[in-house]
Amino acid sequence: MTQTAPLLSCRGLTKRFGPFTANEAVDLDLFAGRVHALLGENGAGKSTLMHMLSGRYRPDAGQILLSGRPVRFASPAQSLRRGIGMVHQRFLLVEPLTVAENLSLSLGRLLHAAEVRALSERFGVAVDPQRRVEDLSMGERQRVEILKLLARDASVLILDEPTSVLVPEEARELYALLRALALGGRAVVFISHKLEEIGRTADEVTVLRRGRVVARNLAPASDLDPAELARLMTGSALPEREQAARPEPGELVFAATGLAGGEGTGFSGVDLQVRKGEILAVVGVAGNGQEALAAALGGVRPFAAGEIAFLGRSLPARRWGGQRGSVAYVPEDRHGRATAPDLDLVDNFLLTSPCGAGLLPDFAEAERRVRRAMEEFRIAASGPGAKARQLSGGNLQKFILAREMDRRVPLLVAEQPTQGLDVAALAEIQAALRRAARDRAVILFTGDPEEALALGSRVGVMYRGRLTLCPGGSGPQALERLGRLMAGLEAA
Amino acid sequence: MLADLTLVAQIAVKSSVAVLLAGLGEVLAERSGVFNLGQEGMMLAGALFGFAAGAATGDPFLALGAAMLAGVLLAGLHALFVVGLCADQVLSGLAVALLGGGITAFLGRGWISRPGLRLGTWDVPLLSKIPALGEVFFRQPPLAYAAYALLPLVCWLLSRTRAGLCIRAVGENAQAADAAGAPVRLVRTLCVLAGGAFSGLAGAYLSLSYTPGWKDGMTAGQGFIAIAMVLFATWRPWRLAAGAILFGGLSALQFYFQVAGLDLAPIWVLRVLPYVLTLAVLVAANVLGPLKRLARAPGDLGRPFFRE
Amino acid sequence: MIRLVPRHGGAVRSGLWGLGLALCLALVSGAAAFALLGADWVQAYAAMAAGALGSAQGRMDVLIKAAPLIFTGLAVALCCRLKAWNIGAEGQFVFGAVGVALAGLRLFPGGGAWLLPACLAGGAALGALWAAIPALLKTRCGVNEILSTLLLNYVAVIFMEHLYFGPWRDPAGFGFPGTAELPEAAWLPLWPGTRLHLGLALALACAVLLWLALERTRFGFQCRVLGQNPEAARYAGFNVDRLTLTAFLFSGALAGLAGACEVLGVQHRLQEGLASGVGFDGVIVAFLARLHPLGVPAAALFLAAILVGGDQLQTALGLPGAVVRILEAALLFGVLAGDWLAARRLVVTRAEAGHAG
Repeated sequence: MTQTAPLLSCRGLTKRFGPFTANEAVDLDLFAGRVHALLGENGAGKSTLMHMLSGRYRPDAGQILLSGRPVRFASPAQSLRRGIGMVHQRFLLVEPLTVAENLSLSLGRLLHAAEVRALSERFGVAVDPQRRVEDLSMGERQRVEILKLLARDASVLILDEPTSVLVPEEARELYALLRALALGGRAVVFISHKLEEIGRTADEVTVLRRGRVVARNLAPASDLDPAELARLMTGSALPEREQAARPEPGELVFAATGLAGGEGTGFSGVDLQVRKGEILAVVGVAGNGQEALAAALGGVRPFAAGEIAFLGRSLPARRWGGQRGSVAYVPEDRHGRATAPDLDLVDNFLLTSPCGAGLLPDFAEAERRVRRAMEEFRIAASGPGAKARQLSGGNLQKFILAREMDRRVPLLVAEQPTQGLDVAALAEIQAALRRAARDRAVILFTGDPEEALALGSRVGVMYRGRLTLCPGGSGPQALERLGRLMAGLEAA
Repeated sequence: MLADLTLVAQIAVKSSVAVLLAGLGEVLAERSGVFNLGQEGMMLAGALFGFAAGAATGDPFLALGAAMLAGVLLAGLHALFVVGLCADQVLSGLAVALLGGGITAFLGRGWISRPGLRLGTWDVPLLSKIPALGEVFFRQPPLAYAAYALLPLVCWLLSRTRAGLCIRAVGENAQAADAAGAPVRLVRTLCVLAGGAFSGLAGAYLSLSYTPGWKDGMTAGQGFIAIAMVLFATWRPWRLAAGAILFGGLSALQFYFQVAGLDLAPIWVLRVLPYVLTLAVLVAANVLGPLKRLARAPGDLGRPFFRE
Repeated sequence: MIRLVPRHGGAVRSGLWGLGLALCLALVSGAAAFALLGADWVQAYAAMAAGALGSAQGRMDVLIKAAPLIFTGLAVALCCRLKAWNIGAEGQFVFGAVGVALAGLRLFPGGGAWLLPACLAGGAALGALWAAIPALLKTRCGVNEILSTLLLNYVAVIFMEHLYFGPWRDPAGFGFPGTAELPEAAWLPLWPGTRLHLGLALALACAVLLWLALERTRFGFQCRVLGQNPEAARYAGFNVDRLTLTAFLFSGALAGLAGACEVLGVQHRLQEGLASGVGFDGVIVAFLARLHPLGVPAAALFLAAILVGGDQLQTALGLPGAVVRILEAALLFGVLAGDWLAARRLVVTRAEAGHAG
């Protein structure tokens, strides 16, 4: 591999948002002619890092070097002028306008259809100038975004999770395009958390975890072991995970067969059962259908098909939403969905608690329960009158769990409850989940296989919308097996 | 019979000019994403200052210029609050409407029932001789011809020029337009100011040609009707012309029925029709799928722009 | 270098700050407007104060004028809690009046002890119905409620004019357009010896009731959540459409009561000049009160004083009463500017040498 100087690199790049550190001391090198993959879990800091390189965020510390010279960008427009362009997950296209109009806007002059076609041919990016963006498929829209950057002579192309919106056919086309663009002398970086793509598309890989680089410029990518990558991505954050004695599983609370979310939701043919006293830990790399499954189990979104037996009663899965009163659902978004940030803890408690039923909610009782929860769960807040936005992530999560456990319903569905939490809070939440499991059945969705093994009496792996159950266990072999299942390398 | 029809049509066109002019201005503002409820105030300001300047100097161009300036100043206030301070567009617009009404009531008291410059009907040579159509379209006050010219101009601006592309992009998705380098704040401010100029012209039309003269509150809600017409026209200038003619036609019919003593429909139903029709179009636009695309509002209409 | 930087502080504190700044800015810009337009602002303000507060008559007028303003202010404030706009208070006010005329003149002309409550109920009901239309258009058809409420205002006024010019016209009216006078049994009782009618007490009661409802009931709680955070409301399973409709119904009923009390307490018939901008005044009152139901009466009294004082400008200084609209506009602008300022704090920094590289 020829070691030329990197086209774009950074040293010691750091970014903080208030008390939260998104990136810490990141060093990275991007070379012309190579396709580079940036891997990491949700919240690992990949997007933040790329936003700094593309000028959207200003780094708090560190340096960015373009062709060896330090640069500072005040805005994405400035970085684009220097040749660094980024395609975001949410495309920055004006949908009612045509492709030609969007390109005109970006280039600052009106383009005829013929000019657009010429550009399209020159760069090998197929677009139709006359069609409106809103009528295009995701893959086509993405090509327009890429063409926008190429027409501005971008030499560094950054793509944020480009295949998350593509069907496999379009993804293959994209890989081919990226390779061609790199061969044309550009540095191409794409952010991903999908392990299986890496070998096919990238020349080298960098892995981020919790804001830091844990592995740099691993190459050649095709030789890398996805299970090892999975381990690098998730890592082990806790020194020791206690294996508490598991209570005997009790009655069958929830059993379902053939659950499907319908088109586009990403899961089908899911069978699962869970009993009182046990935690079913569903683990998988993000984007394999867990989000939709969790929302459907929580009663927030409808199932398209399947049969459910709940506490002995059968019902078609389509009618599961009516059972919302019997399911406690802790969604992934703790700040904007599970709680209302600008309301106080009492109001937030009443969101799902039965004290809130009836014409006159019992505010006094709710306040009592909030106080009790604050004591029991050691929630650090100024009092029941504190606004939800004032609580830290860990404390807010404890509050949400306390609220849902107070409801005394037979089933608890928790989605990524420990995501983004520091070590201490994480341990507390896990302990709370174990306590919750004593009186109810718990389905836990997590991205961390170590957590799944530590907490789950049984473990399931979501891959491409299908759930595969496997025995739990502990130790490195179990972990490795999970990693392989998560990467789709093994069928249980 | 034909003579009657022609007369009604002529009055219809005559009654539509103010709404059309104000509506064109509002189309520009709303396509860029800013909702300006202050039309009423800007039109009144244009009416008064145009009339006063005309009466004082006798020069029609000075009069129109003063009217446009008055509209622009009030619009500038709206732009300051809405674009500069990212304040709520509805409240700011209402405040502008109130302000325009109050200022003109105050300053206008010396001008009530005073004679002033009159820009009466001006026959276009040759064209006005065309039977029927000539009478309807080419025997109108001069500002009507200005409206005829401004309509295609605004269309052309929005659909064929780079500036128009910027305006549309800013109104649909300000963040994307900003990322593409469009000066969002500047574009919105200019569009709001242009809207003010148009409204001033509309007001001047009322006080110099239509009524003519100055009377407190003489716009009588036509500013809000213009806003409703913009919605009725789903933000497309040509459809706005259709809406304005419809409004003018209904006004002309009311007048005609009263004069001719006819009783085909209760007067109040005729008066209420413009508003009800607008509501019906709004409902249809949201309910009927294929129309949805035609009728969709600019995506960022009403949302203040913050650079994240 | 002095900069204004966004502040992340308490909402209430910034709300009060905003109000204070709003009032100052309004008074200052009002004075400037007067001065620019050739009037002596000191004299003008003095005349207004004297007119509104200086005499018993004036104070009485202020109280009477405040009653409908409290109702419409509450109506606007309620919908704004859900981040929805009800600019249709004017139309709902009109239909409240129409409801009273319907009950008192057409349905039950006989009179009786229960005529007054029937009229009030009729007014509230019609006002609620008129507000239900834009609410349903919003929830079922996605029509923007700002425009639908505005358009329906005009429809309501035209319809009412048709009624008192046409089918409901008083045959003994001597040529003045208007309905017949309502039977006295329907009139709101007056505070003995004054012209102050029960409507004010009703309005104050509604303010307290609305506050209690918003604070203590499930409806109020759900409104709170929906207004602050629609995502959380959906997660919690609230029926957003039903909530919106209910809020608009109550809002319309309040505005309808405003119209009902105005007819039953002051005018006693439908005639010209009934509505006259009370809907927009309600918007001003609601925002001066920072959307708080208990603040609405105070804001309404303040605005009523300005309006009554404005009438005085006519007699004392020969200024048209409509000039008060300048003050109203200044108040609105003041609220907007005050909010913006209060959400920021002054930061004095030294010129920076540039960020750490």
